[in-house]
Parts: sequence; C-alpha cells; structure tokens
Amino acid sequence: MSWGSRKTINMNYFPDEVLEHVFDFITSHKDRNSVSLVCKSWYKIERYSRQRVFIGNCYSISPERLIARFPGLKSLTLKGKPHFADFNLVPYNWGGFVDPWIKALAESRIGLEELKLKRMMVSDDSLELLSKSFVNFKSLVLVSCEGFSTDGLAAIAANCRFLRELDLQENDVDDHRSHWLSCFHESCTSLVSLNFACLRGEINFVALERLVARSPNLKSLKLNRSVPLDTLQKLLIQAPQLVDLGIGSYVHDPYSETYEKLKSAIQRCKSIRSLSGFLEVAPRCMSAIYPICANLTFLNLSYALGLHGNELTKLIQHCRKLQRLWILDCIGDKGLGVVASTCKELQELRVFPSDPYGAENAAVTEEGLVLISAGCPKLNSLLYFCQQMTNAALITVAKNCPNFIRFRLATFDPIKPDPVTNQPLDEGFGAIVQSCKGLKRLSLSGLLTDQVFLYIGMYAEQLEMLSIAFAGDSDKGMLYVLNGCKKLRKLEIRDCPFGNAALLEDVGKYETMRSLWMSSCEVTLGGCKTLAEKMPSLSVEIIDESEQMMDFSFDDRQKVERMYLYRTLVGHRNDAPDCVWIL
Amino acid sequence: MGRATNSSSSSIDSSNHFAFSSTGASSSSSQRDLSTDLRLGLSISTSHPYAREQPSDWPPMKPLFVQALAEEENECNSATFYVKVYMDGIPIGRKLDLLAHESYYDMIRTLEHMFNTNIIWAEAEVDGDHYEKYHVLTYEDKEGDWMMVGDVPWEMFLSAVTRLKITKC
Repeated sequence: MSWGSRKTINMNYFPDEVLEHVFDFITSHKDRNSVSLVCKSWYKIERYSRQRVFIGNCYSISPERLIARFPGLKSLTLKGKPHFADFNLVPYNWGGFVDPWIKALAESRIGLEELKLKRMMVSDDSLELLSKSFVNFKSLVLVSCEGFSTDGLAAIAANCRFLRELDLQENDVDDHRSHWLSCFHESCTSLVSLNFACLRGEINFVALERLVARSPNLKSLKLNRSVPLDTLQKLLIQAPQLVDLGIGSYVHDPYSETYEKLKSAIQRCKSIRSLSGFLEVAPRCMSAIYPICANLTFLNLSYALGLHGNELTKLIQHCRKLQRLWILDCIGDKGLGVVASTCKELQELRVFPSDPYGAENAAVTEEGLVLISAGCPKLNSLLYFCQQMTNAALITVAKNCPNFIRFRLATFDPIKPDPVTNQPLDEGFGAIVQSCKGLKRLSLSGLLTDQVFLYIGMYAEQLEMLSIAFAGDSDKGMLYVLNGCKKLRKLEIRDCPFGNAALLEDVGKYETMRSLWMSSCEVTLGGCKTLAEKMPSLSVEIIDESEQMMDFSFDDRQKVERMYLYRTLVGHRNDAPDCVWIL
Repeated sequence: MGRATNSSSSSIDSSNHFAFSSTGASSSSSQRDLSTDLRLGLSISTSHPYAREQPSDWPPMKPLFVQALAEEENECNSATFYVKVYMDGIPIGRKLDLLAHESYYDMIRTLEHMFNTNIIWAEAEVDGDHYEKYHVLTYEDKEGDWMMVGDVPWEMFLSAVTRLKITKC
C-alpha cells in the first residue's frame, strides 16, 4: 500500500496489547501462522496470545516445542495415522500415541481445556492423566482412535467436573462394562454435547436419564445401540432443547403406549436440526420422525442398515431444508432423484455402499449423481460409492455444479471404464477439475490413464489433497501432479505404476507438503534411500510386515510395499514398531 | 502388487475385470463365496494369466462400517427360527422356519400350502359367505397371549412369536 507523501504508519508504535487485540479477530490457523511470520515482534505477540493450535501430523513437531512456543495454549488438535489407515493399510501399532503429549502437557503449566484427536492411539492411562491434570478441561473429541476402553471414559467422567463435551466418533473402544455414565458427578451439570454412538456395550439407562435431566445446556446427544426406545422417549422429554440427536435403537411396536409417548416427545423437540443413528431400526415406524424433518439441516443415515429404499425416500420427502445428507446406496438412483427434487439447499452428499460385494442392482450409478447435480446447484461436497460412472455424467455434473470443494468417487470395481464407451474416465474427471476452480480435495476411481493427471496438474490449482488408486500408466502421471498442483499438501497413492523417477524428480516438493503415501507402487528401497539421504528434513518410513524386516534381508532393487514420508522439525521418531523402518 | 499389464487403450479384455463385476455371468451363489473370500482378505487366483489379485480392501470403507455391514449380513443369512404350528383337529404339528420368509405374505403362502386351507390374518380379504372354508392364524407371544397375526411390523412379530395356531372360524 502506497502512502505517497504521507508519513508511513509503523504498526510497531502500537503497544503489544493493541496488536494482541487485533490478532484476537484472526481465528483461522492459516492466518495466524501467516501473522507470526511477519516480523519478530508479531511472532512474539502472536505466540503468547495463541490459544488454539492444530497439528496435522503429530510427528512433525514435539510436545516440548509446542509448549515452549505457545504457553497460552487452551485447545489442541492432533492427528496421528495417515488417512489410508482407515482402510487397513497401516499396522495397528504403527504409532500416533497421544501419551507423550498428555504427559508433557500435564507437567507443564498449560491450562488445557480442549483436546481433539484423530487416528491416534489413546490409552486408559493417558485418559486418566488427562482427566486429573487440567482443572478447566472442557472438551474431549476422539475421532477414529483406538487403544482405550470404557475405563478411560469413566476417569474422564469422574474427574472432569466442568466437562462440556465428550464426543466419540467412530472409535474402536473396548467394553469393560465400566458403568462410566454413573461416574459423572451429581454436581456435573455443564454437559453440552455427549456422543457415545460408537460404543458397543451396554450402558446404565438410569444414570443416563439422570445425567440428561441435570444438563440444561445439553444440545447434542448421540446414543448407542443399547439404548431402547423407552429410554429414548424419557430422554427427549427431559431435553426438548436438543439440536443434534443420534438415535441408537429404533425398534418398537407402533401400537404401544411407548410409541405414543415417543411421538409426542419428538414433536416437542422443535430445535432438532441434525439427526443420525438408527443403528437398529424396524421399518414402517419412521412416521414418528416426520414432524421434525422439516427443520433438519443434517441427516446421517449411513449406519441405518435396516431401512430400505422406500422408507428412505418417504423420510427425505419431508426434509426440504437439508444441507447435508449421508445415506446408503439402497436409496437407488430413483431415490436420489427424489432427493434432487426435494432438497434444494443440499451442499454435501455422501452415499455409502450397503452391499459392496453383492448383487449389482443394489447400488447407485451415474444416473443418480446426474439427477442430484441437476437439482442441487449448491452442492459442494461429495462422497459417492457407485456401481459405475460415465464420462458424459461427470461432464454434466461438472457443468451443473462448479462449486465443488470436495469430490470423492469410488467405483466398486476400481478400474472400471465408462460402461457406455469403454473409455477411461480421464475426460470426465478432467471436466471436474477444469470446472471446479475451488476444488481442494479429490479422490479418483475407475479406469484412468496418465491423461487424467495431466488435467489435474493443469487445472486443479487449489487442490490440497489427492487420493489415487489403481490409476495411471507411467511416472509421467505422478509428475504431472507434483509439478502442477502448487497447493498440494497430502498425496496418497496405492497400486499405481509410479516409481523412482517420479519420486525423485523434485525432492524439494515434499517439504511444501504435509505427507506422501505410496503403497504397492513401483518405488524401490534404493529410491527411498536416495530420497531420505537428499532430504534430511523428511522422515521416510518403510512399512513392511513380512519376515524380511526381521532379517534385514532387503535388496535395494526390491519394490517397497508401503512408504510414508512426511516433513518434520524434530527428526526421526523413536516409537516406531518393528515393522516400520525409518531410513 | 502392482497393476495388471494392460495398456490404457479402450479395448479392455473382460477377463481383466474383477470376477464379481460387470458382465457377471457367475451365479449368485458363487458371487456370495467370492464376497466372503474378499472379506477375509484372501486373494482369488484365476486361471487367466493377466487377471490379478482382487484387492481385499476395496472399496475403501472404515472398519466400523465394514463390521456393521457384516453383522447385518450375518443376521440376514445364517439364522433360522423354527416355530411349531398346529392346526385345529390335527394332533401332529408342523415346524416352520420364520426367517426363511421375508414378510407376512410370504409366510401365509407357505402355511396355506402346508395345511391346504385359506388363512385369515390381519390383512386378509374374506369372502363373507364362506366362512367355514377359512382358518384364522394366531400366534402365542412371549407373554403367553394369543394374538391375531399381522397387526405389528414383521420384524416385531419375529421377536415376539413363540408358536403358531391355525383355528377354525
């Protein structure tokens, strides 16, 4: 900015408190990171005032350095295992242990209030330490974590007197029959959000009812399968202010008194905007839900395996304000047509496979997606498991919906070509990246050649995360992406013919990215060793569960089963198991 | 693993496809075997030189979800639930697997066949002049009460029924 002849105003004449106050308005992590890079004094002010920190790879930095830099830390988000761990490609004991983080934080003077963990190994001991170390601890969110049991939850319940949020999303939790719900103190009345839908075991219904009754601020409640209808009805009567409800079991006799009570309880819940669960459901009982459908903005029926196509469509016809829909593919193409004509505000759609290895006619095809794109112009986020896809459909979708930020497609046969033309899906995905200028995340599927990667490199300027499987013909494919996508942060590749030439062409690129995953590709041990030598700021991990890892009988010319590399400021980790070799 | 060695051209030999997809000439029972193998993570060898191992982890689904799918599958396939069925006037009863049927209509059809009669239940249409030709189908529930069949949803009926009785009108 030019001031012409006027004297330039130097921001550093302002006292620190003023700058700090200005920085208070800057909340996004990216922006705060940018602020800290301006000059030393801004770095200092920013670091003392920072309360929320996001660490996308727990091995990129150490807890000690985190604590040293941000003494005012209140809220921490940590991610552990790479994304492909979700699909069993990473060994159970690979790493991502939260224990050292909690220990270090507990020993420091940090007043931690919120902890959010994704794909990390959590132990009961660390949960107990967490619960006892931070007086003002308010929020624990665990996503896709494992290694802990209901004993750990009991410690959290018992010791965190001001707990507001306990949100367990899709974790693998051992059931020790710990009566953890009974461990919440009678004086604990601060709960705002409680989600235990992923727990497999029984819970104490009376304890749950009493907890809900003394939590006037409760806005989000997600139950597990063990909670029967009778309890649900009582809970809803206690908490008509709920905004977000996850129903566990929904099996009942429509002529019973309980059902009548449930119907009137549901009708009183006028604030519900988000509905999920139905982990167990008797069909033809969904009409009790209709009264709250009109105001729903998020409907998640991805685990409602007992609901069939017709019921799904009938339910959705009542949901005119839906913005996000997660559903099973038994809704069918026609059902998606109903979604398209009903849900004009739809922004996010996820269609999951209900029978991925079974009969073909159970699934959705390109037709359903085209209908959605035509009816829902606000669509910006898609996850679509389908029987087949065509270039023509993708081109139409690209034209109808240029606002995609996330576009993820998975065909049941990962190398299925366009069934109409028998061509690869290069042109279709090319249209998507060309039209959707704001695309940040892309997952490809179907028969794909190097051509699609040429398009991606050329057009996907905002792309941050790319997932590739069974695609491409040669190193050129991977190179198009690495050279073209300037904002790429995460690249994960499996079963592609990309090798050392692609891996080693521009080693500096990986320092601009969070991580690279390559499995079942053509990369050799020698190639990985070369990369590790050239780039000491990267951690290059070879993951191999075969006996060769024990014998160290590897040949440099051998192809590497799985390679995971990431940039790090703290060198190689020291907690890797035997199946992981850090070069 | 690595990819199959086929070129990127449009002519894809159907034998390069996964055995369970597209042209699907295989019968549904062999498809079911394949799917079990896939779920167990076993690779399937075929005789064709260019066919490759089926990926046991495709499509990409989270483990909790895969588990939920498997549980639902087991509930549908493996269970049987036999109940005794008696008809008025016939001391020797029969046994019927309720889980082999998908709905009331399905079950009524089987019973009408088994006992060679017309059956009245909650949704039956009855010809008023010929009552004597009909039998009423009732069931005993877990509380010991005898109820007419067909009032509650099928799944609810399955969880409540202990035996069936066919009585004269």
